[in-house]
Amino acid sequence: MHPPMVNEEFLSQFRPRIDALFNRCVENAPNYSVTSERFSASLNRSLAKFAAATPQPPTESETNEFLDLLQVDDLFIALACADGNERAWWEFDQQYRGYLERLARHLAKSDVDAQEVVDSVYVELYGTRFVDGERVSKFATYSGRGSLRGWLRTVIWHTLVDLHRASHDEVSLDEMTENVGEGAVHASLAEPIPGGEGELVDQIARSRYRTATFKSLETAFSQLDGHEKLLLLYYHVEQLKLREIARLAESEGSPLRRWFQRKMQSRSENPGSRIHESTVMRWLDKCYSKILQLFRTELSSTHELGEAEIEICLDLVSQDLTDDNIFRHLAV
Amino acid sequence: MEETNNMGSEEVKIQSLLDAFLGSRGPLKSSAAETSFHLDEDSLTAFAEGNLAERESVQVVDHLVQCGFCRHKTVELVRLSMEFEGVDRETNPLAASEPRKISEVLSGLLAKIFGPTSSDQVVFAHEEKKIEEDAATDEKKENDQ
Repeated sequence: MHPPMVNEEFLSQFRPRIDALFNRCVENAPNYSVTSERFSASLNRSLAKFAAATPQPPTESETNEFLDLLQVDDLFIALACADGNERAWWEFDQQYRGYLERLARHLAKSDVDAQEVVDSVYVELYGTRFVDGERVSKFATYSGRGSLRGWLRTVIWHTLVDLHRASHDEVSLDEMTENVGEGAVHASLAEPIPGGEGELVDQIARSRYRTATFKSLETAFSQLDGHEKLLLLYYHVEQLKLREIARLAESEGSPLRRWFQRKMQSRSENPGSRIHESTVMRWLDKCYSKILQLFRTELSSTHELGEAEIEICLDLVSQDLTDDNIFRHLAV
Repeated sequence: MEETNNMGSEEVKIQSLLDAFLGSRGPLKSSAAETSFHLDEDSLTAFAEGNLAERESVQVVDHLVQCGFCRHKTVELVRLSMEFEGVDRETNPLAASEPRKISEVLSGLLAKIFGPTSSDQVVFAHEEKKIEEDAATDEKKENDQ
């Protein structure tokens, strides 16, 4: 069912636009036998989901932006494949099988596993399950929000995780995602080694500063905007390299790119320019400056620390080099 | 952590503190349980390719901040996309020049999954429909005669 603001009147405004997109697709692939109704129904479902993203109804320009972003030719072949069109399946097999096989070989531990993944994805794409007499194809869940190639990448990755899980029942999903692909997230760090008795007083003092530092960082981080938090998490937790973050922000439609370009006046003058590693570095620097200011304010106002004590807090990392992570025991 | 060029000494210190702080939060372990949903394949792909409309992006970004599980997926997808940049547009050079039937593509796969079976035992929905249509046409012809 559509959310309240997505009614027939709303959808009918975009009917001519959707018809034009459909005609373009038919022109590019006349043998796919996708009907206008089928195509419109898929786009209407996507529009409904898009409209439900926030409580306010989308404006006309927002909706047009959304339609511009849809990969309608990819959606067209996916709909045709979901309906079992022979020509579309042949095109799909020609264009994507080699890519799927390479991806699977890259991610899987052996060629046998890779072939199993590709076979499994093909079966899922065709669909062997029937609901109300209709075959359910995985293609039906693709709505053209990203490229079909990108979507297939995600499907292959998920399938591999599922196959892995099936053969390792005792391993949690979170642990599994850490072991698939290259993204083994940093391992758990060692607990701090306790010092001797002579260091007790020093430790108590340091413990107070550690606690204040931890709590102030926590507060400062929570006050950042979501885009800033995500950037910092990608860099510090997921350990994405600057060039990888730049890749993530490469497209003009990237949320990170849009947000930081809006915030940093100098970049907004040339919004279509390429994002280099140095740009990401500037975004990070901006986040560090902001968090430093919030951190200082928090230490001084909430924890009532003076300037010299704030310096001690800032120096904690270099003073605690014996600990792998000075906050690990505080975070529990 | 890569070197950043233009930072003062305090920014360098806060960077190190932040690194230790964020590393101490164990983001993947409890995140799946803490979030009530995960992003679907469509949304993940749209985010990774920078294809999200502005009004959707806040919701997705907020979810990725909370959910280490989905965030980790986006990382994998970006890395995969970079690794496969060169081969993204290649097609299968060994593919047949004429369309293969879906049944040919899939019958081998289904045999692997459900056990060996003769190809005419594998019935696909679109063929089923055609058979039904053919039968209905034949019946109509007979009635007309």
